[in-house]
Order: sequence, then C-alpha cells, then structure tokens
Amino acid sequence: MINQKMMEKILASRARLPRSGGPIRKAAEEGGCGVTGFMASVPVGGRHIFTPSVQMHNRGNGKGGGIAAVGLSAVDLGVSQQQLDTCYLLHIALLDITARQEIEKSFIEPLLDVFKAERVPTVDDYREIEGLECRPPDVWRYLVRVKPEVLGRFIQDNNLAAIDTARAEDEFIYQNSYRINQRFYASMGKQRAFVLSHGRNLMVLKVVGYAEQVAQYYRLDDFHAHGWIAHQRYPTKGKVWHPGGAHPFIGLDEALVHNGDFANYYAVCEYLRQHNIYPQFLTDTEVSALLLDLYNRTFEYPLEYIIEAMAPTGEYDFELLPPEKQRIYRRIQSAHISSSPDGPWFFIIARNNPYQHNIQLIGITDTAMLRPQVFALQEGEVQIGLICSEKQAIDATLESLSAEDSRFCPVADKYWNCRGGSATDGGAFIFTVEDSGNGGKKLTCTNKFGEVITTPPNQAHYSGSITLGHGTGTQEKQDAGKYLAAGDQTGLKDYCSCHLAGWSYPELAGFCAGIIESAGAGDQLKARAIDILTWINDTPADTGTKKRSSVLLIIRDSLKAVFRASPRVGTTAGSRYRLIDWQNRGSLQPPQQPGAVLVIDARGFPPEGEDCDAILICQAYRMGWKQFICFNYCGQRFCGCGLDRGSDGVRIDVYDSSGDYLASGIDGLEMYVHGNAQDQLGQIMARGKLVVYGDVGQTFMYGAKGGEVYIMGNAAGRPLINAVGSPRVVINGTCLDYLAESFMAGDPLKGGGFVVMNGLEFDSRGCIVEQSTPYPGSNLFSLASGGAIYLRDPHRRVVSEQLNGGEFVDLKAADWKLILPYLEENQRLFGISIEDILTVDGEKRDYKDVYRKVRAVKLDVLRRVELDREDRLDELEVEVEC
Amino acid sequence: MEKTQVKPTLPQVLEAPSRFRNPIGKYIIKRSPDCTACGLCARLCPYGVHPHYDNYSAVLRPRMDRCIGFSCRDTDHYCIDHCPQKALTLAPNPLLKTLGDYRWTAEMLLGHWVMAETGEVPTVDMEYSTGNSGGGFDRMRFKTPDPGSYIDVPDEEIDTSVVLNRRGDGRPELAIDIPCYGGGMSFGSTALPMLIGRARAAVQLNTLTCTGEGGYHDKIIPYAAHVITQVATGLFGVREDTIKRAPMVEFKYAQGAKPGLGGHLLGDKVTRDVAAIRQTVIGNALFSPFPFHSVYSVEDHKKHVDWIKQMNPQALVSVKVSTPTDSDMVAVGSYYAGAHVIHFDGSYGGTGAAPDIAKKNIAMPIEYAIPRVHRFLTDEGVRDKVCLIVSGGIRSAMDVAKAIALGADGVVIGTAEMVAVECVRCGKCESGRGCPRGIATTDPELGIMITEEWAQRRIVNMYLAWRRQWCELLRRFGMRTIKELTGRSDLLVHLDYLEETERQSYLCRSGNLL
Repeated sequence: MINQKMMEKILASRARLPRSGGPIRKAAEEGGCGVTGFMASVPVGGRHIFTPSVQMHNRGNGKGGGIAAVGLSAVDLGVSQQQLDTCYLLHIALLDITARQEIEKSFIEPLLDVFKAERVPTVDDYREIEGLECRPPDVWRYLVRVKPEVLGRFIQDNNLAAIDTARAEDEFIYQNSYRINQRFYASMGKQRAFVLSHGRNLMVLKVVGYAEQVAQYYRLDDFHAHGWIAHQRYPTKGKVWHPGGAHPFIGLDEALVHNGDFANYYAVCEYLRQHNIYPQFLTDTEVSALLLDLYNRTFEYPLEYIIEAMAPTGEYDFELLPPEKQRIYRRIQSAHISSSPDGPWFFIIARNNPYQHNIQLIGITDTAMLRPQVFALQEGEVQIGLICSEKQAIDATLESLSAEDSRFCPVADKYWNCRGGSATDGGAFIFTVEDSGNGGKKLTCTNKFGEVITTPPNQAHYSGSITLGHGTGTQEKQDAGKYLAAGDQTGLKDYCSCHLAGWSYPELAGFCAGIIESAGAGDQLKARAIDILTWINDTPADTGTKKRSSVLLIIRDSLKAVFRASPRVGTTAGSRYRLIDWQNRGSLQPPQQPGAVLVIDARGFPPEGEDCDAILICQAYRMGWKQFICFNYCGQRFCGCGLDRGSDGVRIDVYDSSGDYLASGIDGLEMYVHGNAQDQLGQIMARGKLVVYGDVGQTFMYGAKGGEVYIMGNAAGRPLINAVGSPRVVINGTCLDYLAESFMAGDPLKGGGFVVMNGLEFDSRGCIVEQSTPYPGSNLFSLASGGAIYLRDPHRRVVSEQLNGGEFVDLKAADWKLILPYLEENQRLFGISIEDILTVDGEKRDYKDVYRKVRAVKLDVLRRVELDREDRLDELEVEVEC
Repeated sequence: MEKTQVKPTLPQVLEAPSRFRNPIGKYIIKRSPDCTACGLCARLCPYGVHPHYDNYSAVLRPRMDRCIGFSCRDTDHYCIDHCPQKALTLAPNPLLKTLGDYRWTAEMLLGHWVMAETGEVPTVDMEYSTGNSGGGFDRMRFKTPDPGSYIDVPDEEIDTSVVLNRRGDGRPELAIDIPCYGGGMSFGSTALPMLIGRARAAVQLNTLTCTGEGGYHDKIIPYAAHVITQVATGLFGVREDTIKRAPMVEFKYAQGAKPGLGGHLLGDKVTRDVAAIRQTVIGNALFSPFPFHSVYSVEDHKKHVDWIKQMNPQALVSVKVSTPTDSDMVAVGSYYAGAHVIHFDGSYGGTGAAPDIAKKNIAMPIEYAIPRVHRFLTDEGVRDKVCLIVSGGIRSAMDVAKAIALGADGVVIGTAEMVAVECVRCGKCESGRGCPRGIATTDPELGIMITEEWAQRRIVNMYLAWRRQWCELLRRFGMRTIKELTGRSDLLVHLDYLEETERQSYLCRSGNLL
C-alpha cells in the first residue's frame, strides 16, 4: 500500500509535466452515445462487437467510434504470453506519419526497451469499408519496458525509492505518454499524433466513423480477446478530421467508455488540476478515465471505494448501510463529493489488474439513473457478462457469438437494470475473468459490495440445431399434434406445465416440431400453435436441468418458423395470415378477409425514419389491417406509434428484442410485448392497453394520460413521471426509483389513475416470491398531487422517509373494489393469482394487511393560496407561461 | 400553406379601436369652460383630435391619443394658439411616467397600440422602435444606407417570407409570409379569445402560432394548419392526435426567461377548465420538470425527434432552447438530430410568470447568441439547411430586422402580440385572477374583455404596420427579400463602440424608420 507521503510524491512528480496554459473548454458537446461491452471466459473475435455496434448507429453519428480489448491473445499479437503479461503495449496514432520518427527518437528509443514494433495491420484502402469517409490514422504498436537505468533515474529524481519499482514503472509510462500527447497533440499547433493506449494486455483503437469500422479497418475480426468494449460517439460538432476525441479513454491499465454528459466538467477538471493532472483531450470521458486512474493507481482505493467516490450512496440508501460502511462512505463522500461526476453518465470500463492477475469489465451507473443501461449474464460451459445501452445490443452480441460458437446461447440467462448508489447492489456490476485453477479461465459476476451474482445452478445450455433423433421427441411431437388438432388448449397447457421441467432438449424440440408441423394445417391450428408457444414463452416455469434461456431460444425459433410459414403479402392464399418483410414491403395491400393478421418480420427494417416498420404498421392500419404480429425485432423503435385517436380494436403482438418508445402515444389499441421491453414505453399514452411479459426500461409512461397497463416484471427508473388523467397500471415487480413523480392523476376513486405495485418476482422454478423490498428507491410519489399507489407491502418495509409528498393510508373497501378487476386481469394475463398475492408467509391475509395505499398530501408548495372567501373557490385564476 | 409566393396576398387592415373609453395619448389637451364650441379647432386639426359634428354643437372630449403635441406649434393649425378663447392647453401626459418599463417604454406601448388599431405607424412623435434598456437592441442601429441603393418597388413586390424547412428531406417546404410567428402561450396562461384571435391572425397572415404547453383546445382545431403543437417537458395535453394535426411540432427544452427552471402553474390558476384540458387536479399547482425525463443527451433528443417524425410524417420539427454558453454546439447538434427549425430563446423574454431572479439573469442575451450560432453553422456548412429562429425580448419591427441582420432567419413573437391587444406590461399575469386587461387570464369575467375578432384584427394590424417598416428598410438597402438581410451584421452599428461624435449622430435621431 502506498503511504500518504509516497502518494504525494507521485502527484508532485507530475508537477514537472508540461502543460497548456489558458482556460479549459470542452472541445465539443457530446451527448449520450451508444456503449456496449462484454467479457467472456474464453477469448472471442473482434467481429462480435460488430452487430451490437451497427445496431446502435442511431446512438452515434458516425463521427467517432472506438473499441478497446482486454485479455488479448498472445498468439494473435505474435508475442509470448510472458511478454504480453509484463510489457506495456503502446499504441500511438499518427495523424501525421512523419511524427513517428520524432516520437521514436525522443520518447521511445532513449527511454524504452522495445521488444516488438509494428504498424497495426489495416485493410489496404480505407474506402473499402463502406461508409468510412475519413482515413483512420496509422497506428504503431510497441511492446515496451522502461530501460532499467532510465527508471532508476526517474525514481531517484522523484524520490520514489520507497515504492514498488513496478509501480514506478507504471508512473513513468503514464508520464511519458502524457509528454508525447502534450508535444504532438495538446499543445498549440498542428495535432500530429497521440497515444491511444499504453497499458498491459490492453489496447485501444479509434476512427472517425462508427465503432465497428475500427474492427474492420484494423482487421480485428479474427483477433481474439476476452473483453471488448465499443463506443459510438455523438459529438455535436460537424467537422471531425481525426479520432482524438473518440472513446475509449485510458488511465493506465484500463479503458473507459462513457455515455452521458457531466454537468460539473469544470469542477472535476479543477479537482484533477489540484492533483497535477491536466486533461489533454477535453472531453468528459477523458476526465472520467483520469479520475479513475487517480483513485485506482495513485490512491489505491479498492474498487468498492472507487465506485462510491464516483456514485455516492445517498438519501435512504445511506441509512440502510451497516454502520461500519456508513463511517467509511461518509469519509469518501466528504473527500470526493465535489469531484464525483454530476449529471447523466454511465461508464463501462475494461481493465487489466496485473497485480491481481485478473481482467475485469465494470459498469457503473449514475445515482439518478439518467442513462439507459442493461446488464446481462450467461453461465454454463463458457460464461459471459454483457453491459449495453440497449437490451437489443446484448441480444445482438449473443446472437453473433452463438453463430460462431455453440457454447454461447443467443438469449442471456439474466438481464437486469440497476440504480447507482443503491444500498442493495450499489448500481455497479463487475465481471471478473481469472484463472479457474484447472488451466482455463472462469468469469464471476459481483456487485459493488462483492456479492456474487449467479444464475440457477445445475442447468445446461442446449447446443446444436434442432433435429429429431430416433426415439427421442417423437412421442412429444405426436402429443403436440394431437392436442392442437383437438383444440384443447387448456389440456395442452396442463400437459406442458407437467412435462416442461422433465423434458430433455430433444424432447422439447420434438414437441416444438409437432407444433410447427400442425400449424401448417390451417389457420385455426396456426392460431393455436402461436397461442401455446407464446404461452410457454411468456410463462416463467420450471425448466428443470435446462437453462431457461435455451428453452426460450427453442420456443422463439419455433415461433419464428410458424410466423415465417405464413403466405407472403400479395399472394392469394386462403389463409388470413400474411407475411411482410423488408424485401416485399412494397407489396402491401389491404386485407382480403375479416380477421386478417399481418405478420411483420422486422429484421432488416431501419430502427427509425421513413422506411421503418412502425410507419409500415401505420400504412397497413390505414388500409384496414387491425391485427399485427411483429417479430424478429432487433431494437426497431416506435412500434405502435402514429395510429392516431380511435385505434380501438387494433391488436399488436410484439416478439423478440423490441425497441424504445414502443406504444408511445397510443390512443385505443392493444399491444402485447412478449419479452422484456426497452426504454420510454407508453409515453403520453392516452387510451388502450399495454401488456409486457417481462421488464420495462426507463421513463415508462412519462406524461401518460390514461390506458390500462400490465407489467409482469420490473420497471427501471422514473416510471409514470408527470402522468395525468387516468392511467391504471399494475407492475408485478418493483421499480428502481422515482415512481410516479409529479403524478397528477386525479382521485382514483373518482375515475383518476393509480399504480398497483406488487414487489413480486418469479424464482427459477416459476414460483411467485416476494422481492427483498417492494420499493428500494428513496423517492416514491414525489410532488404528486393526485392518483395513488397501491403497494403490496405486508411487512411494512417501505417507510415514510421514502415518500416525498405522499402519505400511507389504509385501504378501504372502495379501494379494493377499484383494484380488484385489474388484479383479476393481471391473474388472467400472467397467472399471478390474487390468492398468491394475498398469501404472506404461507398464510392468506386480508387485503388490508397486504396492500398499503400511498396518496397525495397537499404540500405547501402545491397548495392554493389561502382563500379569504368561500365563494371564491369557484373563481378561476391564471398564469402566463409564454 | 404553400411554398413562397412572390406576391403574398396581404390581409386588409380592419380598424380595431381601443376597447377603453379613453385611449392613452402622449399628450393631454385640456379644454377650459371658456370654450364656446365655435368649432375652429375641429376644422383646423388634420388629425381629428377635436371631434365635432355638424348636427351636434356640444363640445366633445378631445381624442388626445391623436395629438402630435408641441411639434404642431410651428404649423398653421396649432389649435392652442388659434383658439379665440384661449380655452385649450397642451401638456405631456403625466400618465406616461407610470406606464411601461425600461424595455417596453410608454412610447413603445402607445406606438404599438396605434399600429394595432390602424395598421399604420404612428403619426405622433413617439420612439416606438427602441426602448430605454441601455443595452441589447436598444444600443444597436442600422447604418445610414447609401441613398443610391434605394430601390423604388412597392411593398407588394417585396418578399418577407421565410422558408421553414430547408433540409430537402421530402417533408413540406413550409413558408411563412412574414418573418415572425407566434410563441407558445398555453390555455391556462392566456384567455381563449386571445388564443383564437392569434390563431386566426396566423391564418390571415399565413404564418403560425403555437399552443404552448397546456393542451390543444378544441376551438383551436379549425386553424390547425397554422398551429404549432408544443411538446414541453410536462407533456401536458400532448396526445397523438395533437401531434398528428400539427404542421410543425415544437420541442420546448427551455425558456430564455427561466432556463433550467421548468414550468410552474400555481394552484390558483388550475381552474376547472384548465385542469380538464390538462387532465390534472383542480387547484393543484402543476410542474413541468426542467428536463425531458427521457432526454438527457443529444442521442436521446434525436430519438425524441424521430418519434415525432414517425407519428406525423408531414410535420416539421422545431427545437426551442434557451441560450446557453454553448448554444453553437446545441444548434449544430439539433440540426444533426433532424430538426428543421432551431429556436433560441434569449434572456429578455417571458412575462409575469417567470421568477424575477431568473429573468434576464440566466440565459445569454439573444443578440450575443445569434451571430455566434449563425457563424458556427456557416462554418459547419449547414447554415442553409436549417432555419434559425430567435426570440426573447423582440419587441418591434426594428428589433426583428436587427435580429435578422445578426444572422437569424426569423423571430418568434410573444409579448408584442399581447401588447397589440392592449397589454400594459403591468406584470401581474400570474397573480390573483390574472390579467386586469383580460389577456392572460382564464377568469370567466375577465376573459370576455376581448373578443376573438378584435384580437385577430389588432394582431394582424400590428404585423401589417411592421411589414411596412421592413419593406422600407429593405428598399433603402436595395434589397427585395428579407432573406438578403440575414447575417448582414455589417449593416448594424453598436452605439457603445462608436466615436462620440458618431454616436451622437445616431442618438439625436429616432430609432424609428418611418
């Protein structure tokens, strides 16, 4: 451990570094951006960062893309493992190729022992890569160590003798790169070169373009590494000629990508300046990386404390911490609160810990959860952890990986959102890859507090394609056909419930094959087939020794097969189903019979714009189509939007990785999302019905006016903010924070709106269990003036400190009468029975003991000015807010 | 609304006299009991100050608002001197000392009332083009044009239109005939007759007006082709149908008068009607959050814009922001996110409801933001792809022209339209029952003080008077279209940066053009 004195000496040594004068001004505003990253227990090729990056193009603008890889393949680099582990991998981007000789002469040859120097291979001509408009810089790679005599002099000059030589070498490398950047990039004059990365077993590459073009241009498709992160940049400046501002940014052995924007950029810069650290690239991301390096390498904080310094635990969460943690956290906060990034941010960090012999992928969320983020974990023969801006990007990564290596499954075992600074998980998750002890590597997922996150044990993935073997699955195939032909859906569901856990993969596959085959025998059977497969897809059930993710994969593939078997639009088949996809989208014509169903294969449609599938749905609706099945989504947005008022009677069923803004603005229609949904669902929703068989993302139902909504799982942050009118919502899980802030939905007993929050979840056997608390956040119903929350909280775990403008009251008979029909519909949709809801610790209770009502109180800030005369009550008042 | 017409059909001026019995004038003429009702003054005065009817011999109260005051002294119709009884006295109206403020001076208010009444610029010597703020547009003047550059073309042949969509993206190439459209005023803040009057005026003038954040009142629907739907952070009253019927959708991220403060409608103002249209609770204050909860970055913003564009494939998108220090970055970011119109709202705007501490103290003054953004967009090579609209304390025709010369394409007008319907700038918009003049109120008694028809006429008249001024300015600089004026900051001087003698040469003249 570095003592205080040595820490000061390291920082003091940096005072000698050259720096630019004048005030710091951000080089460009940049906003959100798309970030993605994954870490696997086996090295995988750079090609797998391709699809998720492509699918998040709309989060960047092609003016900056970058990737980092950690845990590299020594073979692919052409070096020995020992060299890879001990040497620094210096990547220098040459904006002006003549700068190389100068750099080598001044900063490399006299100072560093070079074990390998090469130009990072590229494709011959950057124009071969479609859409790449700006020639990426030549990158030179040097595998180096500091010359012993140079290091000795450095230690002596800076009085660093008391620290580990290896640490001093780290500092030397860091300062040397700083000097290169200062001379060739940050000082006045032409920008000629800069250091991309210099850590061990870690590399960074960037282009002016999209992230996947990095992999293409620098030929990383078959370059293997355990961890990859990528970033699509969205600088608001138009002309960008070099990728210096693109992410990732580096500390020493870490690379960081960032989605967001600091409100206190200058304050953080000032804090760094006090430690002799001067930004050179003038972006938020750079200062984040510098901050991280300061905490990590100079202060030697454990990761938990680094996360606390970045995303402090606040409000009610702080009170929930054990006293010992509170004591430490209070100190961290008092030292770092002014330099903790403020505003929306989300970091993905890939780092190598050479002293701990592991590599890590870390995701840290800001305390207000202002950026979208999804985590995912898959375990099995190989393990992989993923962090992305959008769930669909995670699915795209897995799909890409599984196509190459069947040990990966296209569906993750677990997906989740998190809340920065929470007392339960800290809002940060770490995927660590280290030696497993038997020659291989293993991946462990932990949260901020070091608690391990796992998936259900003793389950195996299915690998291989669905083929029917002799003897296995034939019986199930026959059974499936029999039930379907008989039209006994209830019997079929019972049959599935009975057998799903016990089936082997071939037996399940056999069953599905039977369903697919029978579905071809007419519309009636097809409808039944879709119904049963959808039901299995939507119902959390015990899958026995099979991974639920693999079961879902087989079911979803079967659904796709059924959907794809529909006759294409423009044909004159007798079926009421018609398939439309990107290729035949031009053949759309009005439905030929009542009850016609338009099946849309969304793959290939752009996520937004004039040609997106959401516009196609509007066109079809105007032609008379009322039933839609949309599948094969990979993040396409705005599904269901734009049908206008009076779309009653329309039904849209959505399968696979649907996108943002689904059902936003709907005014009459019904939408069913068969799986997790993304962000911004149901904004300004006016009427209609929305059912989600899974979780929903950020700012769900912002500004909603009404509608009936059922969510099987959790909502992320900020659901129902500024909702008015009469939205009626049942959320069976919980939400992260800020539920129903500024809720203004009248009096629920007189037609206003409400939210029922059950705080339940399904365990791996498909049983309903209580979550640890029905509401973990510190802000519930803040500044609300109307509506109510009906909270299932039999143990009274939610306390009034979590309310800000609401109060707990007991349920009255009228309240129960109001919510009962919604719970009944909830039961019908999700199988969450009212009896189960009212059962607490194995014992059935009265609704009054199970539910609590949160209603609005009149806050002073909301109160009408005292009226001096009673009769003025009806007088009308005004304000101008032009 | 079709693409630019060469000869816009301008509406007719329809007289819309003051709704108050005694219009306020710059001067006061008193008539003593010595008057014998001889009728001489009535015959002399060419301005009609002394109403007189042949079949009615009694003396009528002078129309003091028409009196040109002491400058009449040198003419042969100066009634004070000619009165045989010496019964008339002339004095400056002391009321002016209590009227207006530094930005909207009494003379500027009176001048605009005359314009709204007659459609003409005032004949009385009033400084209606510049205020007394000591900064901003009040310290800017147009240079004296070279007399040789004057072109003699009638107003009808001068093009004051602005094309709002320049992206060439297949959406309608909407153009407005005057370089102004109406700013967002919500139902809740403003009386319905006023809102309808504004919408009708927008139809007549072939321009637009905006719903503000308070829902889309059914009575506005007939004018939908000229009404912008505002999508603000509270999303009050925003529904799919209000977006689908709009020719342009405006995202309001912030107001220049109170950036970062969101919106706040006090509980008192949330009356039954207001609560109904916003679907909220009667008597409870309403907050619009300061951010869009779904937009914390430019890529979120793009998604937001894409959403509106998906719902209404014909709509243009305007992005209204205040003027932060990095407004240039905001502008270019909005452009790349797909906006057609970028609307900067500077710090001088806002009416009574914005907190005093915020007004003029947070955002950048608009005259600083305009050239900065204009230059940045030009350097980026996208200036001609985007329509730059500005607002925030643009009060007069000359302010509009100055804003355009600094680099804007057009402006958004809020307060001046209220002044046209006789707002006195008392600043009581937010308190009690609301506006004593019946403009910014939804009080059922106060709200009937104006009628739709009258508000419409007043607003149309004011803009027609403004157009006359723009046309004259353009003629003097040898221009036939207002587009040519955009970015011509070389035609402006700032009084603070002139030599004393030159400054005096500007100061001794009125800021008025006509």
